[in-house]
Amino acid sequence: MKQYLIMCRSLTYAQRAERVLNRAGISAAVVKAPQSLLTGGCGYAISLHRNFDRAVLLLKNNGLLRGKMYKRENDGEYEEFIT
Amino acid sequence: MIYLDNAATTLIKPPAVSAAVNKAIKSMASPGRGAHRPAMAAANEVYNCREAAAGLFNVDEPERVVFTMNATHGLNIAIKSMAHQGSRVLISGFEHNSVVRPLKAVGADVTVAGRELFDSENLLRDFERKISGMELVVCTHVSNVFGYILPIYEVAELCREYSVPLIVDASQSAGILPVDMKKLGAAFIAMPGHKGLFGPQGTGILLCGEEGKTLIEGGSGSDSISEFMPDYLPDRLEAGTHNVCGIAGLRAGIEFVKLKGTENILSHEKKLLRIMKKSLAGSDYELFTGDSHNQSGVISLRKRNTDCESLAEKLYERDICVRSGLHCAPLAHKSAGTIDTGTVRFSFSPFISADQVKSCCRILRGIV
Repeated sequence: MKQYLIMCRSLTYAQRAERVLNRAGISAAVVKAPQSLLTGGCGYAISLHRNFDRAVLLLKNNGLLRGKMYKRENDGEYEEFIT
Repeated sequence: MIYLDNAATTLIKPPAVSAAVNKAIKSMASPGRGAHRPAMAAANEVYNCREAAAGLFNVDEPERVVFTMNATHGLNIAIKSMAHQGSRVLISGFEHNSVVRPLKAVGADVTVAGRELFDSENLLRDFERKISGMELVVCTHVSNVFGYILPIYEVAELCREYSVPLIVDASQSAGILPVDMKKLGAAFIAMPGHKGLFGPQGTGILLCGEEGKTLIEGGSGSDSISEFMPDYLPDRLEAGTHNVCGIAGLRAGIEFVKLKGTENILSHEKKLLRIMKKSLAGSDYELFTGDSHNQSGVISLRKRNTDCESLAEKLYERDICVRSGLHCAPLAHKSAGTIDTGTVRFSFSPFISADQVKSCCRILRGIV
């Protein structure tokens, strides 16, 4: 199963992004970012499994796409993902 | 008990407020300090309150809603972000000490404008006469002593015309009058949570048009590796664990205000004001009143040859709760000519009935 992670610079941004996606019918959740992906010590990300392209567009349009994006499949390693 | 000190703290809250506080204290932990259920429950509650406030005050980005301890805390952040030693700052003649003292502390060069009570035209003329060359305007929306509604939207327009940033003290207007961040275009708007928004004491909101400088530094749950506070809102201005229980109660209060509508709240308070004015007309009391447009549900009075503290004591004996003295706003009293006597202040809320105000007036009339 695919998992996409969209890194957010703060919890509040992650929450705002989550609400924007959920209100558009895209299932997304705020998660604590894995340590291996962090540079600043603590961080939150948006996790989603489908509708990634639509989610990215929505977040872009709302000025909420500022962090890196990662993808992993079947619990494998996270790989940076560039649209 | 008849509680008429709502300009200090609204004591009677919607029942949902204490329910929310109770729920939060039992089930919510530190927001932004983990991803376990109690931490995320707290984070969601805090964010929901941000969104609710953003909606009520017309703020596009919920992250520009910063939680503070009270309006004083918010005003200190705002003023100390914008003013420094020698800054030329224009303020109204009805500011609270929460504006006057931080300005004094930073050593700002303060000019006062508009000192005529209930005279908006005079205030605007005076602001226009003095605004040129100013670096900052700080103006209250409503006087905490007299309920005088200052023409804040016109002051904001003047600030835009002269490119002077504006800080608004919405302590007495939030939840009672429309406070519109976009329309005001203010650098900051500060307000308490425990008055017209019906939150618990120890809550406040700072709406940020500017980024703001930190007043305190500490953990933010973000950029932890850095020795400096994050450069983005709200994290930059919210060091330390939030008052989650207070914020949960505040959200319930804000939802009550949204449901009830500020126009209905103001209309009810103005009705009570009219009753009080009518009931005390022709009495020994000197009432400080404006017209139907420029006074909120706050009224001050005094009685010849009776000091205001004694008068308040007589009311306390009859279980009527009011506030007496200078109300932390000596500047407003100097402007109104009441600095030597102070006043006794009566302030209403949606939970005060016409009968309670009539009873209070009957007791006032009976005091010799």
